[in-house]
This record gives sequence, C-alpha cells and structure tokens, in this order.
Amino acid sequence: MVGALRRLRQEGESYQGVWSWLTTVDHKRIGIMYGVTAFLFFLMGGIEALLLRIQLSSPNNAVLDPDQYNRIFTMHGTTMIFLVVMPLSAAFFNLLIPLMIGARDVAFPRLNAFSFWVFLGGGLFMNASFFTGGNILKGELGAPDAGWFGYAPLSLQSAGTGIDFWAFGLLILGVASMASGFNFIVTIFNMRAPGMTLLRMPLFVWMTLVTSFLIIFAMPIITVALFQLLFDRLYGANFFNFEAGGQPLLWQHMFWLFGHPEVYILILPAMGIVSEVLPTFSRKPLFGYPFVVISGLAIAFMSWGVWAHHMYTTGLGPIANSAFGVSTILIAVPTGIKIFNWLATLWGGAISLKTPLFFAVGFISMFVIGGLTGVIHSIVPSDYQQQDTYFVVAHLHQVLLGGAMFGLFAGIYYWFPKFTGRLLHEGWGQLHFWLMFIGFNITFQPMMILGLLGMPRRIYSYPEGAGWEWWNAVATVGALLIGVSILVFMFNVVLSLRRNDQAGPDPWDGRTLEWAIPSPPPAYNFREIPTVRARDDFWHQKYEEDETGRPVPIVGGGAQEPEEEEHAEGEGHGIHMPSPSFFPLIAAIGLPIIATGLIYDAAIVAVGVAVLVVGIYGWALEPASE
Amino acid sequence: MRRLVSVALLIALVGLLIGCAGADPDLDQNTFAPEGDVARMQRDILIVWVLGPAAVIFVVMQALLIYAVIRFRRKKGQELPRQVHGNNRLEYAWTIAPAILLLMLIVPTVAGVIELGRDAADDALRVRVVGQQFSWTFQYPDLTDAEGKPLTVFGLPGEVGKPSTGRPAELHIPVDREIGVTLESVDVIHSFWVPKLAGKLDVVPGRTNSMWFNATKIGSYSGQCAEFCGFQHADMRLIVVAESEEDFEAWVADQLEGGGAARSGAGEPALVSYGE
Repeated sequence: MVGALRRLRQEGESYQGVWSWLTTVDHKRIGIMYGVTAFLFFLMGGIEALLLRIQLSSPNNAVLDPDQYNRIFTMHGTTMIFLVVMPLSAAFFNLLIPLMIGARDVAFPRLNAFSFWVFLGGGLFMNASFFTGGNILKGELGAPDAGWFGYAPLSLQSAGTGIDFWAFGLLILGVASMASGFNFIVTIFNMRAPGMTLLRMPLFVWMTLVTSFLIIFAMPIITVALFQLLFDRLYGANFFNFEAGGQPLLWQHMFWLFGHPEVYILILPAMGIVSEVLPTFSRKPLFGYPFVVISGLAIAFMSWGVWAHHMYTTGLGPIANSAFGVSTILIAVPTGIKIFNWLATLWGGAISLKTPLFFAVGFISMFVIGGLTGVIHSIVPSDYQQQDTYFVVAHLHQVLLGGAMFGLFAGIYYWFPKFTGRLLHEGWGQLHFWLMFIGFNITFQPMMILGLLGMPRRIYSYPEGAGWEWWNAVATVGALLIGVSILVFMFNVVLSLRRNDQAGPDPWDGRTLEWAIPSPPPAYNFREIPTVRARDDFWHQKYEEDETGRPVPIVGGGAQEPEEEEHAEGEGHGIHMPSPSFFPLIAAIGLPIIATGLIYDAAIVAVGVAVLVVGIYGWALEPASE
Repeated sequence: MRRLVSVALLIALVGLLIGCAGADPDLDQNTFAPEGDVARMQRDILIVWVLGPAAVIFVVMQALLIYAVIRFRRKKGQELPRQVHGNNRLEYAWTIAPAILLLMLIVPTVAGVIELGRDAADDALRVRVVGQQFSWTFQYPDLTDAEGKPLTVFGLPGEVGKPSTGRPAELHIPVDREIGVTLESVDVIHSFWVPKLAGKLDVVPGRTNSMWFNATKIGSYSGQCAEFCGFQHADMRLIVVAESEEDFEAWVADQLEGGGAARSGAGEPALVSYGE
C-alpha cells in the first residue's frame, strides 16, 4: 500500500522520498499521514476487540486471563477513541478544509505538521506500555488496566506504569488536538475564498468548526484531570485519595465534563461527511441547510450540560439526576432535526447507489438506533438497570462504530478519488459495506438483549447458566464478520490503487469546490483563488435552474481548471507555498521523551526538554522561505 | 434487508425477554423478570415510556429510509430532480413534535427519580453493605447479639492477582419487607446490583450512598458488582436470599448464636473494623 501511495505521489507532483514526508507541511500529505496512521491504529484496536470477543464467546473461557482482559479492553477503548476516530476525523479536516473553502493550505502549516507528529508520538508512546509488563511473548502485558475512563481510585491503586503511560499519552495527544483545533478555527475564519460567507460554507466545514471549538474547550478539562491523577500517582498528592479527604467523584465529573463533548467531537465530523455525501448522490442540495447548521451548534452547546448522565448511579441525588435527565432528553431534539433533514435530502432525489451512499445511509440507519437507545438511557430511573451493562456497550458502538465509523467510511469512499486520482472499486466496496453492516448488527444488537438480561460490562468471564451464552456467541460471530469486512476494504484499496481507474477531477458530479481542481490536487490546490457566488458553488458553475427548479447543465460550465493545462505548465505557477520543515517533527519527538523521563528518570526529562527547545527554536528562527 | 434484520431482532428480543431465557435460577439476572417492586417499576417505565415508543419510531424511520432509497433511486435516463432547498414548516414540525414527545418523558423521569431516591421507610430492615475487592459484607445494625454486636455476614475478599474462590456472600432478607441499604467502600468504587430486585447504586469510597428495595417473592437472586473494580471484578458476586419472615427470624437467631459473625463462607472475617 505504501509503495502504491509512493507511485501515486510521484505522478502527481515532484516526489523527493521519505524525507519529503517527514518535512512536509502540505495539508494534503499531512491528511494522508493522519488517515494511514489512524487506520493502522484501527487495525490494532480491532484486533484487541476480536480478542475480547473471542474471550467472551463462551462461558468460563480462558483465552485471556482477567489481567490481560482488563488491559486489552482499556487499550481497545482508548485506541478507538483517541487514536482512531479523532485522528481519522482530523485526516478529513486536513484533506478537505482548505480545498472546501478555496485556500492553499491551513493557517499554520508547520503547526499542522507538529499536530500530526505529536499525535503519532503520543499513540506510539501509549502503546509502548504493552512492553513494560515483563515478557510480552509470555502474555505479560504492561498496558493500563483501569478502563479508558480511568476511574479513581482504581487508577491510583493500579500497580506498574500502565496508567502513567496512559495519562501521559493522553496529555501528549491533547497537545496535538489543541494545536489542530486552533489551527482549523483560524483557518476557517480567516482563509476562506472571497464570497465564501459563513452560510455558504459546506456542512463539513461547519461541523469541523464546531468540533474544533469543542476540542479547544474540552481538552483543557481532561488535561487538568490527568495532571491531578499523575500528581496523585507520582508525587503523593491527594486529589482523588478518599483516605486523605480527596474526592473520587471529582475525577468522574471532570472526566465526563470532557467526555461528553468528546462524544460529539467524535460524531459531528461524521455528520458533516454524511451531509456532503447525501446531496451529491441524491443530486439535490442538502435539505434545510441552516437548520442542519444550527442543530449542529445546538448539539455542541448542549453537550456541555449532560455529562452527569454518565453518573446517574453514583448517588448525586434526585435533583441533579432529574436536571441531567431532562437536559439529556432534550439533546435528542437537534439530533432528530439532523436525521429528518437527511431523510428529506434523499426524498425526491435521483439517488445513485454508490458505496459512499450505502455507508451514509448505513450511518443514518445505525445512528437512529444509537439516538433512540440514547433517549432510553436518559430516563434516569430505568437507566439504573441499564447503566454499566452491555446495553450501554451496544448503545455506544451504535453511535461510534455504526455512526462515526460508517460516516468516516462514507468519506473515505467519497474522497479517495480526489486524493489518489483513482476510484475505489464499486463491487468490493459494496461487499465491504454489506459485510460490515450485517456484521455490525449481529455483533451489537444482541448486546442490547444481553444488557437487559443483566450482563454487566467489563467482565472478563461469566458463569454458565446465566442465559448469556447464545447471544455472546452470536456477537463474536458478528465481530469476526466485521473483521472480514475490513480485510475486504484493505484488499479494495490495494486493488484500486493498482487498477488505475482514473477518477478525473469530478467523478461524482460534486457540488463543492474540491471537485473543481484536479485529482490529486496540485500542492498549491487552486491556481487562482476562486470567487464564490453561491452555496454549493461548483454545482452552480455546472448547472442553472429552469423555472420549475430543475437544473439545466451550463454548456462548458465547471471546467474551471482543466487538468491538461496543469501538466503543460508544470510545477509552481510562481505560487509561494510554505517551505518544508523538520523542526515540527523534532519538537514533537521531545514530548514522549519528557513523559518517559517523568515516569522513569528525571535525567531523561532534560534530554526531552533539550530536543523540544531545539525544535521550537529552530522552528521560530527558520527563514520563511528557503 | 435492514428491515428484515430489525424485525427479526425485535421478535427475538421480545420472545427472549418475555419467555425468560431458561437460565439457572441462581444465576438469572434478567431485568425483564423482576421479583421486586423497584425492578418492576424500572421495567415498566422502560417498556411503556421508552422501549415501546422507541420501537415504533425505529420501525417508522427505518421504513422511511429504505423506502426513500428504493423509491428515489436513479433510473436510466432520468432527469435531474427538482432542487428543493428546504421547507420551514416541515422544519418547525419536526422540531416541535419530537420536543413535545420528549418533554413528556420528563414525567416518568422525575417521578421515578424522586420515588427511588426517597429515604427508606421507618420500619424498613436496615442493612449496611460494605464493598471491597472483590467481595461484599452485610451488616444488620438493628439485629444484635447479647453483647450488642450487630449481625455481620462477611464475604471472602479476593486477592489481587489471584482468582476468587468460594461461594459469594449471601444477603438474607425477609420477603415483602422494605430493605434500607447503606453502601460503603473500603477501597475503590463498586456498584451494588441485584438485577431482579433493583437497579444499581455505586459504592463510592469516602461517601455513603443509600437506597431501598424489596423482594416480593421467596427465592434467591443473583447480583454482582456493576462498576469495574479491578482484577476480579467479574467474580465480585452476591446472592440475595429472600425468605419468609419466620425463616428469616430463624436464620437470624441461628447466626447470632454463632457469636455475631456469620458462618457463611469459611475463614476469617475480613472487615474487623466494620464489626462494631
């Protein structure tokens, strides 16, 4: 796959080897690196998921011992949230935002590279904890073992360095997220092409903006909580130590005050993608654009007032539980508005049944279940039964796998041709969809039943006779099916890169600006910065509407930047682009070294700080262009 | 396809939960087969207020989605569709109608929270529950022996890194009598949960949570810790034995003769400091 990508870049633009990737500040290359890295972590998290499912496939199973199980489910959750869905969304921000708003790059290209390298370093650092438990070949794992939510005081009590790696890893990843959050806010506010008013921005740009704001407000909260946890663990502080008057529940409040907006950080980008895919394949504009935008804003705003629904059973008392119950019930209203508008977008369209559309419709279908089960959970008194059972496991996967990942796959199939110049194979794509869709339903719908049958979460085993055997076996079969579907996807990517089915600039008859430029786009994106005259500007360059509201093709429309011209004129056009720089990479390498030092030996900290300072100084003093 | 899957699942769900799964009665934790007033109320709220309406909405939404994709799929030589940008009336309708429906859910939510959150009745049997990795201890502060020591049933604590052994601690209660429980932890957060009798409540170190429940039928009911608490979380189990008032009295007398410390399970009492 790497080889194929390499060939691809050679054709598209001047390629200068690995070094050019290490020093790149091009948002498209950074986006590709984000995507490939996140996918590799997805495989890792997926293998962890399969191990968990195999362990649970029958009662009293002993594939994993309790210690291994606890570490693996902790890493599965942490990986899928922080190393897969968030960076995969970041990949789309990077690839698309400048193209969609008619810009040549993000506002801070080197900061963007820094974000990626910090993310990669944080992810590798956290996974390095697997090797700290002794001989990994004998199954002695050192990974964190207190769950992705790291509840104190269990996370204080946990022996070994797993939790320290987890907490420092999340702190490092937080740096990446914060930098990227600010970067995209500034980019979207300041770098839009002339005429691209806020209410002409594609929905995906809107959702990126909203997500970025959520990131920059949510990340500081977990940063504080993680520092407190580390101070408790490493330096004997007592924030969460009940024996010294600390408050275990303080951790939960802070974690979920971050954690619930985080849920929307995970789902809003996918909602943005679906809001782009549905209009293109229905060949109709998004229904109720301003309402979809406003409901996104409303969800983001309300997400700050629902965190304690993760804590109904902690004994907050009737008033707090009622208040958070009501706020949680009401967040379903803006979510519903989005779903209805998507449905209305499909309604009356001329839907071409291509893979991206399948995934987008699959997203809606599964997200309806995720939303309904969310409402079910909001009802406090009955939720006392479902809290911490497999019903919740089903719900969160309906939102994050059936929701976010289906939406992200829709995006991958939709924009793959834009950035590789090649279409993904349709047949294999649809096979991927159906296997994943069926596998998903076989895996997670039985978990709702298991939850109602009283099966708690996070148990490494269960006795024979509880009535859970059958549905657990079914769920494991479904999980294996999802695994097969991912293999089909990987095969499809390799096949499609080799097959050379040229996509051309606009394979789907797209509506937004990225389809106006060649595939893959040149380094500078737009030879001339476009002037935007309408929402879905590129569509309106191609079609005008007759008096009945039906679009009529404009002769010669849309051929704004013909591809042949690009090759004839070659590289550059005298457009100034930011120079490559390796200082973001150096600065990023400093962070995991510092974290390692804080866990093991203060002397290593000095090395890490030195590397970080060199990186930042070099970065600051580097001439703007070579 | 989608509809088939969902209908099949719904039928399976209903069939399985109504017909009971044929589970071992000692291990059954089916929340849809409650034997206590709290669990029954929780099940009824769930089915009547949310699961039922959610099932209807689910079927309608999936049907609309499938219909739209099939009905409006692109046909050969089809012209481009009319470019409809929106419809404000529709927007208001699908904002306000769901909002009203959802606001109705506030009624059972608040009423249920208040009812379940009330203090236990004055004549309730008081039980002090102490969670520790990975067992439960039950103390009856009002049932004391001749020396004034309260009846205490000790669970066998597990050891981190070792599989747990033995039968889980038994919480004996009289049937049809309200039980007022206070929950304390000596180490990490646990959650007290006996699915057929009542929803869970967390056992948080440094604070005392309280709840009430009852059993309306004689029998033994399986429960287990519902908050991840470490190595042997999966084996932190308990059994509630609901018996007739006479049997309960007899059990109490038998235990107190034994000197206040229970003989269920073997071995040394783990929570000596909790015995007074």
